[in-house]
Amino acid sequence: MAAKQKHAEQIPLFISRSNISTEINKTGSWRFVRPKYHEKTAPCSAACPAGEDIARIEMLSNQGRYSDALKTILLENPFPSVCGRVCFHPCETVCNRAGLDDPVAIHDLERFIGDTADGDELKLTPKKLPENGKTVCIVGAGPSGLSAGYFLSQLGYECDIYEAQSEPGGILRWGIPGYRLPNAVVASEIRRIINSGVKIICNRPVTQDFLEKAKARYHALFIGCGYGRSLKMNIPGENMALDGLEFLNSLRDGKVEPINGTAAVIGGGNTAIDVARSLVRLGAAATLIYRRRKQDMPAFKAEVEMAVKEGVKIKELFSPIRIKEDTGEYVLSLQLMKTSDMKTDGGRARVIPDGKAIRHLRVQKIFTAIGAEPSASWQFPQGENTETLHLSHCTLTGNNTPLLYGGDLTNPIKSVTDAIASGKQAAMAIDIFFNQGRHAVENGLSSCLVGKGPALSMERYLGGKRSVRDSHIVSYGDINIDYFSMAGRVKAAPIEVNNRIRSFDEIEATFTISQAMEETRRCFNCGICNACDNCRIFCPEIAVILQDSERRINLDYCKGCGICVFECPRNAMDLEEES
Amino acid sequence: MKQVIEGSHAVSEAVRLAKVQVMSAYPITPQTHIVEALSEYCADGTMNAKFLCVESEHSAMAAVIGASSAGVRTFTATSSQGLALMHELLHWAAAARLPIVMAEVNRALAPGWNIWMDQTDSLAQRDTGWIQLYCEDGQEVLDTTLQAYRLAEAINLPVMVVMDAFFLSHTFEPVDVPDQELVDRFLPPFSPRIEINTSDPFAIGQMAPPNVYMEMRHDIQKAMELVPDIFTGVEQGFTKIFSRTYGPVEKVLCDDAEIIMVVTGTAASTCREVISDLRSKDEKVGMLKLKMFRPFPTDLIREHLGGAKKIAVVDRNFSFGASGIFAQEIRAALCNNNTHPPVFGYIAGLGGRDVTPEILSEIYWKTKNSPILENESVWVGLLD
Repeated sequence: MAAKQKHAEQIPLFISRSNISTEINKTGSWRFVRPKYHEKTAPCSAACPAGEDIARIEMLSNQGRYSDALKTILLENPFPSVCGRVCFHPCETVCNRAGLDDPVAIHDLERFIGDTADGDELKLTPKKLPENGKTVCIVGAGPSGLSAGYFLSQLGYECDIYEAQSEPGGILRWGIPGYRLPNAVVASEIRRIINSGVKIICNRPVTQDFLEKAKARYHALFIGCGYGRSLKMNIPGENMALDGLEFLNSLRDGKVEPINGTAAVIGGGNTAIDVARSLVRLGAAATLIYRRRKQDMPAFKAEVEMAVKEGVKIKELFSPIRIKEDTGEYVLSLQLMKTSDMKTDGGRARVIPDGKAIRHLRVQKIFTAIGAEPSASWQFPQGENTETLHLSHCTLTGNNTPLLYGGDLTNPIKSVTDAIASGKQAAMAIDIFFNQGRHAVENGLSSCLVGKGPALSMERYLGGKRSVRDSHIVSYGDINIDYFSMAGRVKAAPIEVNNRIRSFDEIEATFTISQAMEETRRCFNCGICNACDNCRIFCPEIAVILQDSERRINLDYCKGCGICVFECPRNAMDLEEES
Repeated sequence: MKQVIEGSHAVSEAVRLAKVQVMSAYPITPQTHIVEALSEYCADGTMNAKFLCVESEHSAMAAVIGASSAGVRTFTATSSQGLALMHELLHWAAAARLPIVMAEVNRALAPGWNIWMDQTDSLAQRDTGWIQLYCEDGQEVLDTTLQAYRLAEAINLPVMVVMDAFFLSHTFEPVDVPDQELVDRFLPPFSPRIEINTSDPFAIGQMAPPNVYMEMRHDIQKAMELVPDIFTGVEQGFTKIFSRTYGPVEKVLCDDAEIIMVVTGTAASTCREVISDLRSKDEKVGMLKLKMFRPFPTDLIREHLGGAKKIAVVDRNFSFGASGIFAQEIRAALCNNNTHPPVFGYIAGLGGRDVTPEILSEIYWKTKNSPILENESVWVGLLD
């Protein structure tokens, strides 16, 4: 085995040295457990209503592959720039990074990736299946209708979207104020959907009559017209109050005029907050009146906090009972409320009048924003029977011509991202309906869940790489924290409060490239292989083979020691017993 | 160019100039400044090298063993407990015949905890197969580090460059830091004899049964026996370029001396003053500075010390149950010589205690005034 080392200089150098390969010793025969690459589900992607593959998106961004990151988002969501701004980002609430320091700023990164798309990338749409000759009529060019059209066109359907307003976008175009979502952002993402082959017909309000005719002309219908009519308070003097939704509509229509003096806004949802913050920008002193407690408000917490920072006053536990006019101003009478032990269906504490205490609030303008409902009765699911399928984000009726209701009409959470989820679910449901029949719809959808759902993945539906991913949701305990050190969350540059409340410009800047790099580096990439190569570096048998950027285990020599699995920082590997 | 730098940084500068490719170390006082400067050189791009942070000195030595086996120039540094922790791999590095260079800052071993000068740590590693070179000042430690690479790479044995804690490691002195161009002329890039290579794979360090083990060990000794000559050659090459020379030993006023004091490290500087003072009083005293301890320069010891009447060895170390370690080795070298003057062993300056001119004078007078050797070791300067 030992051979004398010969060298020109002839120094005595006799050492153990052998040219015989040790490969003959197949250490794989010692193994009783074997490692395997086994990707799991990141908690963020399971919490995302649109089921975006966030761990992979952040990995690609960190590699500087912004175009690939964008494509990855577009597989599941046609609205990255919009969602990066207005989504309430449940992904961040469940982010494992919070266990170490702070959640990753996923929404800022999504906005960055969306905004980074240049002219060419606006044409970028996922690969489409060949046209299948089927046509779909979509009612309403809001986020659910546009998404339904986008995903259906990917699946080979020809879609016509009918929109009552002069421009598409629905709530994105007409409801959300510009400081949260600029028009240009909405317009460019809609342009990408149009580029994908969807036809949008504006100024065409749909009637029940039209709908009946459409059933004959189209193979399927999707109704996603949202809630167009504000709810009434049913109190004396209500006609003297202005409608909050209409007010936001008029602002988005360019009718921005200063409003001086005081204003009351009645309601506790996102619309009420949007109205109050818009009033502040127009010069008014806004007071929000809410009948429950502040913590019960359905508006997103971050929005409420920003409203307060901008000077909106919140009066909680006051219920409006009357509006009276007095010398050109209005007196709003309020019943003081208190919580009772009972709970509502939604789990909030029920409130009841607190004795006979009445307060009067004198203001110059009153706005209502207590909620909305569909503006016509045909917009509710009709003719329910045993065949009606109530899915998580839409309802399927109709026998031969499937008729689906989605968006706010059916969603438990009325958010933009849930509306997108609704459009996607409807598209998949229609496709399964035609390919396999109505009976297969529920099972077909459940095979495309991200984690345990309800989020759905179009990539899974189309048999992409995510199809093989385990539904196990990676927890903080699954992460090998030795590979990560504390690093604070990157914050987008904010516009100072005093400056921002004077305009409808956006209140935060998009991340710069260096900010995005710094922030994506914080992502654990839970459950997916990001090619860190730890498995290969640490393998004592050199049994991890890297070929064409893919890693595999050479089972001739893998002893099953499990070091690769232990050193994988992100739980993308498992050990399984030899059978 | 001459610069006023710390002894530790004299080593760092030499390592930089030697264009070392892989370094690994674990911090320990009083060594830390050496690798601190080097890690900065790696971080800021001054050096094109890899600095491996590891969890212990054992791992640091393992890392440079790996790198050296792969055919690159390597460096590490340690002290005291850290060196003790490396012990197993010191044997490995030598027997694998790897030309690793290590700076070792002499520091006392615990307990009681003591971070100061003491030679027992490096002398306790004398049987590991490492070449050991003890240095006197900042210039010598820089020059010796450069020479160590030529020496190690010529003979395929690791070299330990040894220096006193604080007296040398933390003292600022003017040191000539040579230009890269001159160093490149002295020290060519490393051309390894053993270089594991994935394109021509072979295994090293495996089983050596009884039919070969002794021959392997004999080869290490044969290599050690070549070291004095190779070192002389290396020094001659160095002197041509830098006009400085040190020798495996340095004799000062030894030729007519009746008593020769044997010293090492920074104590040699103090001793130079003491013997010059004694000479002015017509005392026939000389000094032998021992630089090379492994391989032990037996021939030179016999040549320079054999003719004296008495030898006084100053040991800043101790082998419990025996005597000072340098004294042992000198006695062993002289015993088979034709003449073997009595060797008086003195123990001084353990654990950072100063070896002052007064202590060295006391050692001289004790030696002169003792007609016979009363004790193998006399502990000097013990407090009551």
